[in-house]
Amino acid sequence: MTSEQIKLMKKIQAASFALVEANEYLDTHPTCPDGLEYFRRHKEVCEKAKKEYESKYGPLTAAASAGTRKWEWVTQPFPWELCANEGSDD
Amino acid sequence: MWQYEKKLQYPVKIKNPDPTLAKVIISQIGGPDGELGASMRYLNQRYSAPCREIQATLTDIGTEELAHMEMISAILYQLTRNLSIEEIKKAGFDAYFVDHTTGIYPQAASGVPFTASYFQSKGDVITDLHEDLAAEQKARTTYDNLLRLIDDPDVRDPIKFLREREVVHFQRFGESLRLVQDMLDAKNFYAYNPSFDK
Repeated sequence: MTSEQIKLMKKIQAASFALVEANEYLDTHPTCPDGLEYFRRHKEVCEKAKKEYESKYGPLTAAASAGTRKWEWVTQPFPWELCANEGSDD
Repeated sequence: MWQYEKKLQYPVKIKNPDPTLAKVIISQIGGPDGELGASMRYLNQRYSAPCREIQATLTDIGTEELAHMEMISAILYQLTRNLSIEEIKKAGFDAYFVDHTTGIYPQAASGVPFTASYFQSKGDVITDLHEDLAAEQKARTTYDNLLRLIDDPDVRDPIKFLREREVVHFQRFGESLRLVQDMLDAKNFYAYNPSFDK
């Protein structure tokens, strides 16, 4: 992956992590207004980054594969590969 | 149901393979306090949780543990890539290699394969949450021990992330226990679950 792609992936990872953290907090504090606001804010960032990533590089879920000539799910590395975590042009 | 996303929860980028580290880190997938046991514990216990808050907590933490298992597996995968037979022998990785080559298999550092006897699902939410609190502390201690054994900053970084998650999950299970005790019987100082016999 290029360092540009890694950078966008890291943005998704950071925003997704904020969502997981807020989700688990809200499970035991379901009416906390600050928690709800925090979740909404990061959800927006996360969805925007995922949309940009998928349009530039390929699907993050198999269900998002929408190609007519190629099953795009198999075009990008799986995340345990070193190349999915390191920019080839670093 | 679940849907897979093609990303790690936190990046794993290990420059230098080192099978001696893989030999101990493997306990955090298949060992007594590892991520596989954690995930199975919470995802099995959730059906006897009596309220939505705790059903949600067990579902969401149990799901996050699967992502942690994937991170540990990625660490093992990267630590054991491109090894020569000489390196395998020198690291004492030959005992694992003979059974699994460099495939990922859930076992403890001692070589004992993963077993469901590492966790309980007791059907009593107070009993289960006490186990869950202890499990998070035991996993945190295991990560502390790994950090005592590992110098490579590339390996320490994701391990430190995983250690912090144990601390947060302990907090969430503490809140869950408080919620359920208040809900079942505010005057039940002895913390047993009276719902089954009533």
